[in-house]
Amino acid sequence: MTIDFEFRKSVMDYHVHDVLKYCFQCSRCTDNCPISAVTIDFYTTTGYNPRANILNALLGYKDAIFSADPLTIWGCTVCDTCDEVCPQHIELTEIFTFLKNESVKLGNAPEFIYGQAKAIYDSAKAIPSQPAIERRREQLGIPPVAAPDVNEVQTLLKNIGSDKKLK
Amino acid sequence: MTEYKMFEGCTIGNRIPFIEAASRKVFDKIGITTSSAPFSCCPDPTGMKSFDNNAWLALGARNLVLAEAEGKDIISLCNGCANTLRGVQFQLKHDSLKKEKVNAELAKIGKNYKGSIDVKHFVDVLKDNIDKVKGAVTKPLSGLKVAVHPGCHYMRPAEWMESDDPMRPTTLKELVAAAGATVVDYEEEILCCGSAVTNAYEEAGMANLKVKMDSVKGAGADILVVNCPACFQQFDTRQRDLGKKYETEYDIPVLYITELLSLAMGVSADEIGLKFHRTRMKLEDFGL
Repeated sequence: MTIDFEFRKSVMDYHVHDVLKYCFQCSRCTDNCPISAVTIDFYTTTGYNPRANILNALLGYKDAIFSADPLTIWGCTVCDTCDEVCPQHIELTEIFTFLKNESVKLGNAPEFIYGQAKAIYDSAKAIPSQPAIERRREQLGIPPVAAPDVNEVQTLLKNIGSDKKLK
Repeated sequence: MTEYKMFEGCTIGNRIPFIEAASRKVFDKIGITTSSAPFSCCPDPTGMKSFDNNAWLALGARNLVLAEAEGKDIISLCNGCANTLRGVQFQLKHDSLKKEKVNAELAKIGKNYKGSIDVKHFVDVLKDNIDKVKGAVTKPLSGLKVAVHPGCHYMRPAEWMESDDPMRPTTLKELVAAAGATVVDYEEEILCCGSAVTNAYEEAGMANLKVKMDSVKGAGADILVVNCPACFQQFDTRQRDLGKKYETEYDIPVLYITELLSLAMGVSADEIGLKFHRTRMKLEDFGL
C-alpha cells in the first residue's frame, strides 16, 4: 500500500485541534458505531469501520479509503456518537466530512448527496416548495414559507465552486 | 417575551407542515412569539455538509446573518437545522481563519457575519418555559406510555449543542411528563434513527432501525415521541416496510413532542393534521 503524503497532510491540516495523531486505535468509535454494529462481519474485513478510516487517513493510505467500496466512507450516518466516546477527543465526524467532501469531488458519493446539493442550488431548499404542500399549509392555518433568495444562494455556491461538483 | 425568528426547515416546511402547525399551537398556548424570514436550507448537516463543507459554512452563516439583521434569536423546529446553525456558529466563533474566509464570500453578496445572535432548539425553549407548558395542559395524557427519541443532532456534538447531556438528555422526557404521560425507559434510547445512511444503504439502515424499534416495542411503549423531522420520517414512514421485511407487527405510532403537547393542551387531532401520519394513533384509547 502506498502512502500519499499530500493526502496525509491535508487530513492533518483539516483537523482543527491536531489531536488526530494521538489516536491509539482503542476502537471505542467502532464499538459504539450503530452502522458498524449492523455491517461488520466478524470473520472478514467488510463493513463500515470508523477506526480503520481514522488509521488509514492518519497514515495517508489514500487508496484504502477512496478505491474501496464507497460504504467505507458513506456508511457513516453522522450520529456523532464516535466523537463523544473518543477518549482522545478526536472529532472523527469532521475527518469523515473531509473524506466525504473528497469522495464527492471524485464523483463517488451516493446519488442522494448530489441530488440534495442540486436541489439546494436550484431552489435554495433541500426540499423545494410544492403547490400541494402550500395548499396543505393553508388548510392547517399556517403562513406560507418565506421564499428564499435563490440568486444570492447560487452566487454564493458558484463563488465557492460547489456548482462544479454537481452531477 | 422575546420574539424568535422561526426556522421551520425544509422537511417540516415543505413536506410535513402538520408538525409546524402543532408547534405553532403549542407556542401560542405558552406565549412564544415568532416571525418568519426568507431562510434557505440550513443546510443539512448530513447531506450538504458531506457534499461541501465550505458551502455548508457559508450558507449556514448567511442564514444567521438574516436573523442578525433583525437582532433576533432563531428558534429551530428541527434537530438538523439546529445542529447546522449552532455548528456553524461554533466553528466560526472558534476559528478566526474560517470566519475570515466565510465573511470574504459573504461580502460578495453584501453581507457580513458577526455572531451576535443565538440559535435555540425548540425543545430547550419549551424546557425553559416548563411551568407555562404544565399550566397549559388541560387534558393530561395519563396512562399513555411513551418512549422518547431525542435524536443525535439534538445533543451531539456536545460542544455545539450544549444540551443537558450528550448521551442521555432529560429535556424531552420532562416535556413528555409535563403532558401527563409516562416515560418508558428502553435500552436503545440514544441509538441513531439511521436516516442519513438509509438513503444510500437501505440494508444497513433497516437493520439499524430494527434494533431501535425492537427495543421500543420490548419496553412496552404505546407510542414513540421525537423532536426531529428526519427521525420522524424514518420511524413513521419506514415502519411498515420494516415490519414487512422482518415479519413483525410494530404498530408504534410516532408523534412529534409538539403534537403530544397539543393533544394534552386540548387541541383536536384535526387541527394539527394527525391524519397525515402513516402510523395511526388510536386516540380513543387515551380518552381523546
